[in-house]
Amino acid sequence: MRGHLNWFTTATRFALIEHSRNRFALVLVALFIPLWTSLAYLAMPDTPAHMRLRATGETLAVRGNELTEISGALNAVTLITGFMMFAATFSGSRFDHRLAMAGYPRTHLVLAKVTALALVSAVVAAYATAVTCLAWTPRQPLLLAAALFCAGLTYGALGVGFGSVLRREVEGMFAIVMTSIIDLALQNPILSSGADNPIISYLPTYGAMQAATAAGFSASPVPAYLGIQLTWFAVAALIALVSFHRSTRSTLLVTAPNPKREPGSGGSSLLSPRRADVSPASATDTTAP
Amino acid sequence: MRHAYRRRVVLRGIDLRLRPGTLCGIVGENGAGKSTLLKILSGELRPTRGTVRHSGPFGYCPQHVVLNDTLTVRQHLEFFQRAYRLAELRCAEEVMAVLGFTGYADERVGVLSGGTRQKLNVTLALMHDPRVLLLDEPYQGFDWDTYQRFWDLAARLRDAGRSVLIVSHLAYDTERLDELWRLDGGLLRLDEAVSA
Repeated sequence: MRGHLNWFTTATRFALIEHSRNRFALVLVALFIPLWTSLAYLAMPDTPAHMRLRATGETLAVRGNELTEISGALNAVTLITGFMMFAATFSGSRFDHRLAMAGYPRTHLVLAKVTALALVSAVVAAYATAVTCLAWTPRQPLLLAAALFCAGLTYGALGVGFGSVLRREVEGMFAIVMTSIIDLALQNPILSSGADNPIISYLPTYGAMQAATAAGFSASPVPAYLGIQLTWFAVAALIALVSFHRSTRSTLLVTAPNPKREPGSGGSSLLSPRRADVSPASATDTTAP
Repeated sequence: MRHAYRRRVVLRGIDLRLRPGTLCGIVGENGAGKSTLLKILSGELRPTRGTVRHSGPFGYCPQHVVLNDTLTVRQHLEFFQRAYRLAELRCAEEVMAVLGFTGYADERVGVLSGGTRQKLNVTLALMHDPRVLLLDEPYQGFDWDTYQRFWDLAARLRDAGRSVLIVSHLAYDTERLDELWRLDGGLLRLDEAVSA
């Protein structure tokens, strides 16, 4: 049990160190979130417009600048978490493969990445919510933070998927940026006349956008829409998991009857004599189909 | 074993047995399939046809360094200590001392020179004291002294009963080897002059 905890804590600590040394992402968090949300708040008209919120069925009178600010916060959070996870996956996939081949349990590596993603998303969502509250007061700030958090999780998982599949860094950045722009621009009734189209409900941050809008302008709790967003996260995470599994697998199959590899102590001298022969039971095979 | 990338056949029929206590080299021109062979032996790549059998733990040093630039040397050692389930790091410290980069333990890998990164790349393959070592161009970027010390280490490992397989595009220092194989046209040929 202690071994499992050690594997998990070590991998989580190093995953967090890796994210913390992504200076560009930290600059984006510090500057991009307040810049984007402030500009959206200041530049858009503050005249109220009527819109129907699907999540509650209510017709709300929302200020255009406040709604665009929410959309901007979602855009910023999704871009940052997507970028951070993409960068870590893109640069680290061969290292993860080497670790897995050396015997590091892949389950613990995956859990560590998910934990790091959750922590990053929580920090970024809390910061974006705090910045939002400086300009105006959403009716349910905690729900806004939860919506931003779930959207961050989803794009983080998408970033892992893109990082596993795409071969060039610029391809991944473009994929994340375009996905987020299409996703959010189509949902904003101020920017898109098609925001009421049924197809909108299939977009990756539909649940988060509905929940965030409810958080801003309604007193109704909308847990089902956070659930929709978490479903999107689960699907994206499953795709990321399959990609990770494929990119870190070994072709060597351990043959029966001894499926365990022999652990070393690392304490003996490298140059101490070894028994020349070993039991065939400790052999590992790879066989082409 | 055989391997092909789509229609391009790289390995046509490789049959190699690496005996304990042997320092073995495989040389070949660029693109001959040396790294492909080592990737298959290490389990990184599945051969089109054939079987690989390992008699115990092995260490694999890939041709291109596979490290995490954001972590320090010491953090790499800790990460792989967990992976290999090692109680301590004496072997790693021994290899670091031989290769002469103990003083870089707390440096972040991203700021290290190419040669020092390669030293860590090699150390990660040796630190669990494996029975078999698969080393792909292990001394690239080494200065002359480190290069000499590397060969001394390889010979001492061989003398202690480990099997060491070194792949290189250059057939220098063949007198240090017990066996030399040439990979040409997808086939391995034993160089009788060296291996006699």
